[in-house]
Amino acid sequence: MAAELVTITIDGVELQVPKGTNLVEAAASGGIEIPVFCYEPRLGAPVGACRMCLCEVEGMPKPQAACTMGATDGLKLHTAATSKQAADAQNATLEFILVNHPLDCPVCDKGGECPLQDLTFRYGPGNTRMTFPKRTFDKPIPISPLIALDRERCILCYRCTRFSEGVAEDGQLVAVNRGANSMIATFEQEPYRAPFSGNVVELCPVGALTSTQYRFQARPWDIQNVPSVCGLCPVGCNTSVTIRENKAKRVQSRNHPEVDQGWLCDKGRFSSAHLTARDRITSPLRRKRRTGIEEIDWDTALDEAEALIRGANGRIVTALSGTETVELAYALARLLREGVGSSAAVLPEETSDALDPFRLPLSAIAHAELIVVVGDDPVLERAPIVDLWLRQARRAGAQVVTIGPAGSLQAAPGSAAATCERLAGDRDELGRQLRVSERAILIWSGPGGHGGATLAALAADLGFHERPGCGAFHLPATPNGRGVAEAWAAASDREDEGGEPIGLLIVSGDEAASDPNVRHLAEHAEHVIAITLFHGLAVGWADLVLPATSYLERDGSLVNLEGRVQRLRRAVTPPVPDEIAWISKLGARFGVEISPHPSVLFEELSPKVLGGVTYGETGDRAPLPPRPPLAAPTGVAPAPEPAPVAAAAGSFQLVRYRALFSGPAVERIPELQFQRPADELELSAEDASRLGIAGGDTVVVSSEGATVTLRARVNRRLIAGAVRAAEEHVRDLADIVIVARGAGA
Amino acid sequence: MTALYDEIQQVAAQYPQRRSAVIPALRLAQEAHGGWLPPAAFREVADALELTPAYCQSVASFYDMFQLEPVGKHMIEVCTNISCALVGAQATLEAFESELGIRAGETTPDGEFTLRTIECLGGCGWGTVVSCDHRYRHYVKPEDASRVVEELRHAEH
Amino acid sequence: MPSTEFEKIVLAGADDHDLTRLSEYERVGGYQSLRKALGMERQAVLDELLAAGLRGRGGAGFPMGRKASFVPKPEQTTKPIYLTINADESEPGTFKDREIMQRVPHRLIEGALITAYTIGSNHVFIYIRGEYLSEFEIVRAALAEARDRGLVGANVLGSGWNCTIVLHRGAGAYICGEETALLESLEGKRGQPRSKPPFPALQGLYASPTLINNVETIATVPPIIEKGGAWYAQFGVPNSAGTRVFSLSGNVANGGNYELPMGISLRELIYDIGGGIPDGRKLKAIIPGGSSTPVLTADDIDTALDFDAIGAAGSMLGSGAIIAIDDRACMVQLALRVAQFYQHESCGKCTPCREGTRWMVNIIEKVETGHAQQGDLDLLLSVCDRILGKCLCPLGDAAAMPVASYVDRFREEFQAHIDQGCCPFGDSSSLDRILSPVQQHARLLRELAVIA
Ligand SMILES: Cc1cc2nc3c(=O)[nH]c(=O)nc-3n(C[C@H](O)[C@H](O)[C@H](O)COP(=O)(O)O)c2cc1C
Ligand code: SF4
Ligand code: FES
Repeated sequence: MAAELVTITIDGVELQVPKGTNLVEAAASGGIEIPVFCYEPRLGAPVGACRMCLCEVEGMPKPQAACTMGATDGLKLHTAATSKQAADAQNATLEFILVNHPLDCPVCDKGGECPLQDLTFRYGPGNTRMTFPKRTFDKPIPISPLIALDRERCILCYRCTRFSEGVAEDGQLVAVNRGANSMIATFEQEPYRAPFSGNVVELCPVGALTSTQYRFQARPWDIQNVPSVCGLCPVGCNTSVTIRENKAKRVQSRNHPEVDQGWLCDKGRFSSAHLTARDRITSPLRRKRRTGIEEIDWDTALDEAEALIRGANGRIVTALSGTETVELAYALARLLREGVGSSAAVLPEETSDALDPFRLPLSAIAHAELIVVVGDDPVLERAPIVDLWLRQARRAGAQVVTIGPAGSLQAAPGSAAATCERLAGDRDELGRQLRVSERAILIWSGPGGHGGATLAALAADLGFHERPGCGAFHLPATPNGRGVAEAWAAASDREDEGGEPIGLLIVSGDEAASDPNVRHLAEHAEHVIAITLFHGLAVGWADLVLPATSYLERDGSLVNLEGRVQRLRRAVTPPVPDEIAWISKLGARFGVEISPHPSVLFEELSPKVLGGVTYGETGDRAPLPPRPPLAAPTGVAPAPEPAPVAAAAGSFQLVRYRALFSGPAVERIPELQFQRPADELELSAEDASRLGIAGGDTVVVSSEGATVTLRARVNRRLIAGAVRAAEEHVRDLADIVIVARGAGA
Repeated sequence: MTALYDEIQQVAAQYPQRRSAVIPALRLAQEAHGGWLPPAAFREVADALELTPAYCQSVASFYDMFQLEPVGKHMIEVCTNISCALVGAQATLEAFESELGIRAGETTPDGEFTLRTIECLGGCGWGTVVSCDHRYRHYVKPEDASRVVEELRHAEH
Repeated sequence: MPSTEFEKIVLAGADDHDLTRLSEYERVGGYQSLRKALGMERQAVLDELLAAGLRGRGGAGFPMGRKASFVPKPEQTTKPIYLTINADESEPGTFKDREIMQRVPHRLIEGALITAYTIGSNHVFIYIRGEYLSEFEIVRAALAEARDRGLVGANVLGSGWNCTIVLHRGAGAYICGEETALLESLEGKRGQPRSKPPFPALQGLYASPTLINNVETIATVPPIIEKGGAWYAQFGVPNSAGTRVFSLSGNVANGGNYELPMGISLRELIYDIGGGIPDGRKLKAIIPGGSSTPVLTADDIDTALDFDAIGAAGSMLGSGAIIAIDDRACMVQLALRVAQFYQHESCGKCTPCREGTRWMVNIIEKVETGHAQQGDLDLLLSVCDRILGKCLCPLGDAAAMPVASYVDRFREEFQAHIDQGCCPFGDSSSLDRILSPVQQHARLLRELAVIA
């Protein structure tokens, strides 16, 4: 339904815009600037607080805040360019803002990219009439290890608090006091601990909220910004990486309206310093019998690699991380599959192309009317931005049903497939709603296994392929699992068995290196080559360690959870050769010609597995490929019975999730440590009261000889019989545990 | 669950949206904590209404009747807005100050009284208005201060 | 006092009966209007209110019937419709709503029920100023009685119509009298005004259609329904129909609330009814509608108390609170105290009010202590001007208008402070040693920040 068009006049220019268009936007569409501070449409309805946008509206005696007005037919608006009333009003606003502003631009990080500076230059008073002492505050105050707050610079536009309350809904950053004493604060000076906290730095239109990592690091005129995407989760938020002297100084959002809407999680925003971690490997390492390890040069390393590969006689297994670019995975696959005929691979969590007929942009979540999330893992921990989309949907009135151990509908751990089966049946009320809704969305949020295929079968059964507003998403555990799997498949048609025992295990990337299953394989392999970023990951069990590069140092592409192919641009030159460069050289030794250029590899690959998108298309706000038609409807396979909750009396089923703030990169950022999951065990209210455990008590969790001591947290949403903790705290425990109140609790 | 938790649930049930109960809940918490809101009080209210302590403190700090610091057992508030000021509120306040030996905004060392100035209480025609433990007294003259203080001292609280 | 010569409408019967009791209120015809209204079409009730010409008593004077007619009809909306009654009375000088709640609580409740019925609402909220503890208790008791009698709640008077009334106490913030701030506060938020449009009639409480009226406005409804809009319209003067409960305070012999027909003169109110200026002093200035309205001088004493006449004299009838100021008061001190009040009460949301009120206080303080320079008065007027008409809500204007009027009308007195380097009253001003409001929540400021 096309909105009615109305004609408005701004500074004498006639514009046709849809009725109700915000006047700031309407003016911008005509190339006319209306200055703003508080206006930020992503934060919800405009609030009209700062009064920077005051304009003259014909027929109204007083200046009006343009940001809170919608276009009506015949409306005539004058900005400061053509109205003295507007110019005076805007000048007045700036004078009032500056009355208590410290004017410390020379030492302010925002200097040079500061809206307050810019607008004062264009609309503000040239001098000050204020002769009284300004309000002074202690400054800067750390509101978390990541963010510093300078209250003197704050102009109280409330963007940050509106983000905290109305977008992330974390309720941590608030305004306290009233009137001229108002200020931004956290509760009792506790840190602003929330997964999206860093967005407030970018939202702040002055230098009041700054990143502790970026403070005093660079000035806007001596930096470059490289457009890229984040490589830390399957969403692939579009980013802009600030570079100075070949160092990544900060990561900011580059707003892809269909993917991330301009938000980043703190992991994506604040992790770039892992590039310069002290234990980064910068040259190849070889295991030596007595002294442990030795650094070797690259020629030796390639000789060594060649020898290990040849020596394995085709009994090679490759473990991939899912963090590789499509091109890297493809190059590796060609080397091993074409070169030595070794196709065996441990691929990251299965991502299914069966979901493609139900493909939608993530932004569709915001417009959905019914969303059903199944699975054990909190959406936030797997694909953080999806959590924001879900919140937005809920605020817009969507019904969001989560079915899981701590869902709005409780379900036993591991029962997601059974849930899908139930939803497909015709006796389920929710299933019935899903069948008729025009805007329904299904999301699978862990655990792994056949989630994508199971969900696709459900979506097909519900007829989602026939309703363009309905879609389904699988949240995989790795950033590019699908791209890697497809690249691996595209490299060769040949199938072969790895053969037993494993002659050589090739471990690609940090995630694979820290995967217990991969380590287990390594124990049974004759030799191991590992490609990792950091020292501790493979040293000790790999015969040869080749230094890896990070996503910030690579050119290439990633396929995100929507199936969108997005381009990664090298922001920083790595301290080591690019993987594809040496794989190419190694390829030559096995008679395989592999281009060292990702763009060439992409050209080869794209028609095979990426639907033929061009390299150019993937660079700036990559499009989503269209939905393919549904192949043959398969019907929902009967789900295996989930394990019964609480196998024996007094024992619990342990639900573990991989926390967003975990992993090799996060572990190396001191400022991010406070975001890592607390050593807590979540218990249902029922179990807590039965065991006489209160929140904060010490609990002892044990299974099969392993014991961990954690703090109890009562989660009123959690299903009885299950307990939940972050993987990193319960690594040694089995899935069935005994929980007891600790001593001194 | 605590008595405060239950009381808050009752109040919240009156409203179409539970968040509306923040002010009444904070008032109950303030009464339960001896007339002011220590950090623990915000945690309790937040827990009962499924909000954050930061949010509750943000709301409380907007309103003058919530105390973020300990106060005396009795609260004496002298209106000093214009109608009362025109008929001598300043002298009345000073009389209370010397009677209690403290300045406006302070609490007596024995923790018995807090003395404050307050904006227009809505008794302007009968000034000076003084609110004692939230009960108004009208036409309070400086010479009444000692009697008022004595009465409060012996009042059941 | 001579006020008995005038027929009372809002406070009718309260001099001779204890109308806080339901039985007494019923004896004087209480709740008959409700019965009558429930037997009428909604539109017919609304027509009576329109015919009465009743204008809002909260300050802005908007016609009550018109505002009610902006609320969508129940059949036009899927959302609940709310009636919210503004009992936050905090404008300095105003204490009439308090008297209404104390003396005729049932008339307020009856008015609430009739109004709710008229707009098709089943939910009434009365937002009572937090400091009004006794008044809250009185209304609560009256409400309990009414509930027991089947007047409030399910199936009101057997009509099949339901209506709940919830009393909600504020917690000390003048700005919560502003209607959208009131709604925010009622939703459990900081009481900061919303930008309009959308107007509350369409999107108010919980984003649903909401009518907001002042206590006095609502308490006037039952007599209008009882005797008809035309009857009510005979009182007062054209464009200012009916009576008002005027709050009289300041330097006057008999301060208090007086219900009088509109159009009565300031002289009659202050001298005939209020007993004049005590101690043989001379009247110097008059604040006619609460502290936010521009000041009048003694020369304006014959101005009639109605919307148009006060407007013509350069001020506003506001909340109907008249403050008499005699010749002992230093107008600079008055200006300072008023400015301090608005600085203290500014919600802090919009820039001009938050920063401007503080700056205003700074400048007036400088004048008051005799440290100002030539030019500071013009700067003060310029700051007022830069606030006026540019804020999100009318509080900014409420601060700037009176202060500008003091400088305008008593400029010589301000100038004398600058010329003499001190207050010309010495320490004999009645406002000497004025006290600013205490710094609220000093702990947060102390611990989280350092205030110079
Ligand atoms: C700063 C400010 C304070 C106000 N305070 C009150 C108040 O205490 N009581 C009141 O009834 N109206 C007050 N109002 C007016 C209300 O916004 C609103 O107009 C009124 O309640 C509507 O009721 P009425 O139409 O019956 O007058 C205030 C307005 C402003 C701008
Ligand atoms: S004018 Fe004052 S009270 Fe009104 S919104 Fe602005 S800051 Fe708040
Ligand atoms: S941008 Fe319009 S008021 Fe702030």
